[in-house]
Amino acid sequence: MAQFAALLRKDNQPVRYLVVDDSVFARKNIIKMIETFGGEVAGEAGDGLTAIAEFNRALPDIVLMDITMPQMEGIEAVERIIRQHPQARIIMVSSVGYQENILAALQKGAKHFVQKPVKPEGLYEILRYVLSDEAGSSQPLPVSAGKDDVQ
Amino acid sequence: MSRKKDERGDELRNLFFESAYELLQSLNESGLALEANPADEEILRSVRRAVHTLKGDSAACGYQSLSELAHELEDVLSPSVGQREGGRLAEVVLSVADTFELLLGAYKKNADIPSTDAVRKQIRELLESGEGAEPKTAVRAGAPAGSGCEAQFAWTEYEQLMVAEALHRGEMVYNIALRIDPQSAMRAAAFQLVRNVLHGAGTLIALRPEDNAGAANVDLIEASLSCTETAEGVVRRCKIPSIVKDVQVVRVKAIESPEHEMIGDILEAQAAAAARAAEGPSAAAIAAPAVQEKNAVATAVAESMLRVEASRIDSVMNLVGELIIGKSMLHRAIMEFGQKYSRDPLHGKLSDALSFQSRILEELQKSVVKIRMVPVEQLFRRFPRVVRDVAKQCKKDVALELSGESTDLDKGVLDTLGEPLAHLVRNAVDHGIEPAEARIAAGKPARGTLYLNAYHQGTQVVVEVRDDGGGIQAEKVRAKVVARGILSQQEADKLNDREVLNMIFAPGFSTAAEVTEISGRGVGLDIVRTVLERLKGTVEVSSQPGKGTTFQLRMPLTLASIQTLLFHVGGRMYAVPLSAVLEITRVTEPEIRRVDQKEVLQLRDRVLPVVRLSRLNRIHAVGKSKRSFVIVIGVAEKKFGLLVDSLAGEEELVIKALPADLACGDLVTGASVLGDGSVVLILNVNAVVSRLSRTPLMEASA
Repeated sequence: MAQFAALLRKDNQPVRYLVVDDSVFARKNIIKMIETFGGEVAGEAGDGLTAIAEFNRALPDIVLMDITMPQMEGIEAVERIIRQHPQARIIMVSSVGYQENILAALQKGAKHFVQKPVKPEGLYEILRYVLSDEAGSSQPLPVSAGKDDVQ
Repeated sequence: MSRKKDERGDELRNLFFESAYELLQSLNESGLALEANPADEEILRSVRRAVHTLKGDSAACGYQSLSELAHELEDVLSPSVGQREGGRLAEVVLSVADTFELLLGAYKKNADIPSTDAVRKQIRELLESGEGAEPKTAVRAGAPAGSGCEAQFAWTEYEQLMVAEALHRGEMVYNIALRIDPQSAMRAAAFQLVRNVLHGAGTLIALRPEDNAGAANVDLIEASLSCTETAEGVVRRCKIPSIVKDVQVVRVKAIESPEHEMIGDILEAQAAAAARAAEGPSAAAIAAPAVQEKNAVATAVAESMLRVEASRIDSVMNLVGELIIGKSMLHRAIMEFGQKYSRDPLHGKLSDALSFQSRILEELQKSVVKIRMVPVEQLFRRFPRVVRDVAKQCKKDVALELSGESTDLDKGVLDTLGEPLAHLVRNAVDHGIEPAEARIAAGKPARGTLYLNAYHQGTQVVVEVRDDGGGIQAEKVRAKVVARGILSQQEADKLNDREVLNMIFAPGFSTAAEVTEISGRGVGLDIVRTVLERLKGTVEVSSQPGKGTTFQLRMPLTLASIQTLLFHVGGRMYAVPLSAVLEITRVTEPEIRRVDQKEVLQLRDRVLPVVRLSRLNRIHAVGKSKRSFVIVIGVAEKKFGLLVDSLAGEEELVIKALPADLACGDLVTGASVLGDGSVVLILNVNAVVSRLSRTPLMEASA
C-alpha cells in the first residue's frame, strides 16, 4: 500500500473516525486504510441506530457511512446525526447504483461520498478535503496541505 | 513487516468468506421470500442489500467475477422488474445465489473460476424483456467524452439583478465554472455535492444546470456566487476531490441595475417565509431519537460478536466438569468432617466457603454451556431452500413450516445433524408427499406441507420431520425386509407394525441404484441412524397411511451436565434428570392396585401407571419393604410413577457419555462419577418407560 502523509486534526491529534457498514469486511477494509492515514478508529457500527449511538458516545471527527444497512439506512442516520450535531462530517460510502440515496444523503447534510470499491488514494483526498472544512461549513479554516495551483 | 501484512490479508480474506457465506444465506432466504411475494418492495430491498454488500466486499477483495455478477444482478433488482417478471426474478436471484456459492468455493480454494455466462444470460433476458431498464444503466452508458464547450455564464435577467444587488451590498460575486471529473459515475450526486459546497461558501445566485434532474449528463456546472471569500478560497473549496476536475473562477466587477431595492425586498420576504416553514417539522422530530435509544443499545451488544474455535470451549467445558466433580468431593469431605466434629466452628466456615464456591461454579458452568448452545434455527434456516429446490425438481407444491427454532442445541450436535436432517427432508418431499393429483384424489389440499419442529424434552432435544403425505405402509416394508434378506419371514411376522416401520433404517434396506416409493435415492436411511447413534441419539419413524410420516430424532444434550435426583433400587444407585421429576410421594404396597394387567397407583384424583425398575432383568428387589418412594415422572404428556427403594438426594452430575460398546442398550444415557468416586448410571427415562410398559406383568406377579 502506498505511503500517505498522516492526516491530522488542527490540534495535531490523530483524526478519529466512526466507521459504519453492515459488512464487517467492508469496515475492516476501511479501517485498514484509515490506519495507514494515521487515523484512529473511535467506533464502529453495523447499522444506522448503532451509528447514532456511537456518534453520540465517541463524537468522532469523521463518519464513514454506508448507505444500505439493516435497521436504519444510512440516510436516516445522517439526518438524525446532522440534526443533533450540525457540524458532523459525514462521508457516504456506497456504490454506483445508489445515486439517489447519495443525493438524498447530501441533501441531508453529508459532506462527501466515496464509491465502492474504496480506493485508498481517493479516500485520502476526500478526507483531506472534508477535514479542511471546505465542504460547506460556514466558517472555513485554513488548509494545511493546500498546495493546489490556483487558476 | 511484509509477513505481518500477509497475516492481515489472510484475516481479511477469512472475514470476507465468513461474511460472504452469511450474505449468501440471507440472499437465499430473501430470494425465497421474493418468490412468494414478487412485488414486495421491502423484500426486494433486502435482496438488493445482500447483493450490494457482496458486490462491495468482493470488489474490495479483488474477486472480479463475483463482484461483476453481483453488479449485474443488482441492476435488475428494481420494483418495476419485480412487478413485471414476478417469480422469474426470484428464480434468477436464486440461481445467481448458487453461482455465487460456486464462485466463493472456487476463490476459497484458489481453483479455476467457474463461468458465469449462463446466469448472466438469464439476467440480461430479464432486462431485455422489459421496455425500460434501470435508469442508472443509462447513466453509466451515457458518459461520453466531455464536450469542449466553454462556460457561458448566461444568466437570466432576474439572476443578473440579483448579482447587481449583491454587488450593491458590497459583496464579492464570482462566476464559477466547474468541470466534472469524467471518472465520476454519479453525476447527479456530484452535482448535489457541488451545490452543497457552493451553498456553504456563500449565497448561490445562479446555477446551471438548475436541478439534479438536468445534471445526469452534464460535464460543466456554471454558477454565480456571492460571498466574502477571496477567489483562491473559492477555488480551494470547489476543488472537490474525485468530483471536480477543473475550476475556473471569475470575479464579477459590475453590472448595471437600477431596480436593486425592489429585489432586496423580495429576498427578505422569501427568507421570512422559509424561516416560518422550518419551525414546524423540527419541533415534531425531537421526540423520535429518545425512543430509538434502547434499540441502539441492543444492536450495539449484538455487534460485539466474537468467533472462537469450538475446541477451546470444549476444553473449558471439560475443566468445568472436573471442577464439579471436585466440588462434590469437597462437599462429601466437609459433610464427614461435620459428622465427626459437629461442634467445630471450622465446619461452618468450610460450609460457607463451599456454598460460595458452588454458586460461582454454577454460574461458570451455565455460562460455558450457553457458549456452546446455538438455536436450532441456524440449522433450519437452510431448509426452505432445500425444500423449494427438491419440490421444484419433482414438480410438487410443498410448503415448509418451521417451529421451535429457538430451541438451543449444542453446536457440535447441530453441525452433525445437518446432513441426516437434510436427507430426511429431501426424502419427505421426494417420496413422502404425493403429487398434487394424488393428493386431490385423496381429499387433501394440493399443496403438501412439511413440518420441521424442535423442542427440549427432559435432557433430550427432539427434532421432528413430519409430512402430510401418503405415509408408509408397514406391509410393503415387511415384504421388502424379507425380500432383501434382512429378516426371515418368521422374524418379520413377529414384529408389530411400529417395529417393522423402523426397519427402514436397517442397513441394506435401500440401495443406491433404486428409487422406490418408500425410501430414497442415494444414501440409505441407515446413514441417518448411524449418525444419530454417534450422537447417542435415536431416530424413530411413525406413520399413518394416507395421513403422513413423522421422523423423530432424539439426541441427548451430550456435553451438558444435569441436575439429577439420585435414588437406590436393589442396592444400586441411579439417577434421573430432575427436570423430568414432577413430584415425590410415598406409598405402601397395598396402595398399588392392578388394573388390566398393569400396576397403577391412585395419586389424589389421578391414576398413575407404576413402573418398577426391579423388573428390568438384572435388578433384584431387596426384600419387600412395606413403604417405598414413588417418583412421579413426566414424559411428554404421560405421567408415571417410578417405584424406588430409597432416595439419595439431588446432585449435579456431569454426564460422561458411555462408549457405544459399553452402553446397555438405550436404557442409560450416560454415567457419572460422584464425589466419593462411585459411579452412577443416568437413566433414559423414555426408554425405561417404553421398555417396561411393553413387558408383560406375569413375571412380576409370579
